[in-house]
Amino acid sequence: MVSDGPMVAGQVRYQLTLMLRTPRTLMAGLILPGALLALQLGRVQHLGQGAAADVLAARVAGLVVLGAMSVAYLSHASGLVVAREDGVLRRWRATPLPSWGYFAGRIVATVLLADAAALILVLVGVAMAGLHLTAGAIGGLLLAGSLGALALAAAGTAVTPLLTSAQGANPLLTLTYLPLIIFSGGFGGLSGLPHWLNTLMSYLPAQPMIDAVTQALQPSAGLSGRDLAVLGAWALGGLLLSVRFFRWDPTRPRHARSARAGKLARSV
Amino acid sequence: MSAIVVEDLVKRYGGFTAVEDVSFTAAPGEVTALLGPNGAGKTTTIEILEGFQAPTAGTIRVLGTDPRAGGRAGQSWRARIGLVLQSTSLDAQLTVTEALTLFGGLYPGRRRAGEVLDVIDMAADARTRIGALSGGQRRRVDLGIAIIGQPEMLFLDEPTTGLDPEARRRLWSVIENLTASGTGVLLTTHYLDEAQRLASRVVVLADGRVVADASPDKLRAMGGVPVIRYRLPVPPPGCTVPDLPAGLADHVADGELTLPSADVTADLALLTGWARENQVDLTGLEVGSPSLEDAYLALTSEEGAEIHG
Repeated sequence: MVSDGPMVAGQVRYQLTLMLRTPRTLMAGLILPGALLALQLGRVQHLGQGAAADVLAARVAGLVVLGAMSVAYLSHASGLVVAREDGVLRRWRATPLPSWGYFAGRIVATVLLADAAALILVLVGVAMAGLHLTAGAIGGLLLAGSLGALALAAAGTAVTPLLTSAQGANPLLTLTYLPLIIFSGGFGGLSGLPHWLNTLMSYLPAQPMIDAVTQALQPSAGLSGRDLAVLGAWALGGLLLSVRFFRWDPTRPRHARSARAGKLARSV
Repeated sequence: MSAIVVEDLVKRYGGFTAVEDVSFTAAPGEVTALLGPNGAGKTTTIEILEGFQAPTAGTIRVLGTDPRAGGRAGQSWRARIGLVLQSTSLDAQLTVTEALTLFGGLYPGRRRAGEVLDVIDMAADARTRIGALSGGQRRRVDLGIAIIGQPEMLFLDEPTTGLDPEARRRLWSVIENLTASGTGVLLTTHYLDEAQRLASRVVVLADGRVVADASPDKLRAMGGVPVIRYRLPVPPPGCTVPDLPAGLADHVADGELTLPSADVTADLALLTGWARENQVDLTGLEVGSPSLEDAYLALTSEEGAEIHG
């Protein structure tokens, strides 16, 4: 038997290769947030120095989370649905790779890519707007970014049983992803939101992740335990739901279901 | 020892019985074909054997192991089987070599990717991404991935559906080479010539039950009497073809004589006598044994017909 370690390492490499060769993932996860950051830098630099640093950290954090949601939620979940509907998951299930190994590889690769995208965005902020970055900030950024990406990937995995077709997956995922990132302040803070909506957002993964990344980028602030707890709860809850409800097999076509129902009716 | 043992297999979905009391075995190093019309229970049976579905009742052993075995036993068992699913299931972003290397890394007794590329005749496309391959080439990559772990048992679920005749023949020769090296194959197919060419044993399912389990030759022999076929010549304008003797003329339709014959010698004597007497050219005359297709159609259309042996 090949031991589990090399098999999972092979999976991480494989999943990274797939993601890096999928233009949509790179476009939505890195290029779009990078372009938005470049557009916003000019406006931030007009503010006073202290205010600018705070606003810059918040803007970078929002775009880091926009990229993370694209990679770890949208692309991860839609990629899983496509792989399931194309029979790719079924083929993996028939190999000696343990089923947890497939997910470990996929989720680790997703977190690594989200972290890499976050670091690149932050470095753009450092290079173009003088964002102050310390070693502690990098550690905090990696912790918040990794936990957030894990929470998003777990949530994305958990919703895949509800997505029955590859074509329908992206629109449905976008329908949940866009409001979440907008109302959480991913494109800048929104004033005048109802209290209940702010409260709701504080329990969903995007806003705690934005807050945690913002705090990581501000040397004076420590990471909030509450934000990390919310992200941890999403990661754990998503993984538990995935273990219980995840489907490996393609959705049976409607005509096949009705044919079976017809046979059933005739046999009764 | 049999590579596959199926005893009294039953699979029900609610009140619908997909497979009922199916029993058969498959020998190692041979191709066993599982045939049957759509809805006969082939896919259900093969999915149970592959471990994707649990049986409602019955005993299943593939290489001596229950396909539903979990943990390390299940992993070890999956390292000994290979499968080609009904439709291609590959990531388009990988190159052929990358896909083979990736899957090969999961098997302790793997072949080298280069060796598999030669076997599936894809060495020239080793660096091509799978998304850029034709359907036939993708099917060969599918087969390459299935065999890279040197499986003892290979499941091929309609492996040549949609391939052109040349691609089908290439896949056939790959499968023949595999069985020659000791790999057992369970094949489902809608192409009876494929089963005729490759299989040592044919199991025919109809309405979820086994209606035949025999060698292709034995099935053909049970399929009916031989058939004499002869397309009558087209006469020049103003002429007619001489009348065939009574007993033959009744079997002419659309200018072709198709005569199921219980006594081939006597019927041929009658035909050749008529031809000599009327100076008719018999070019194109055929005497065919019943095909596997004839036997298959007889089995799957006749209620209660069964062949075993």
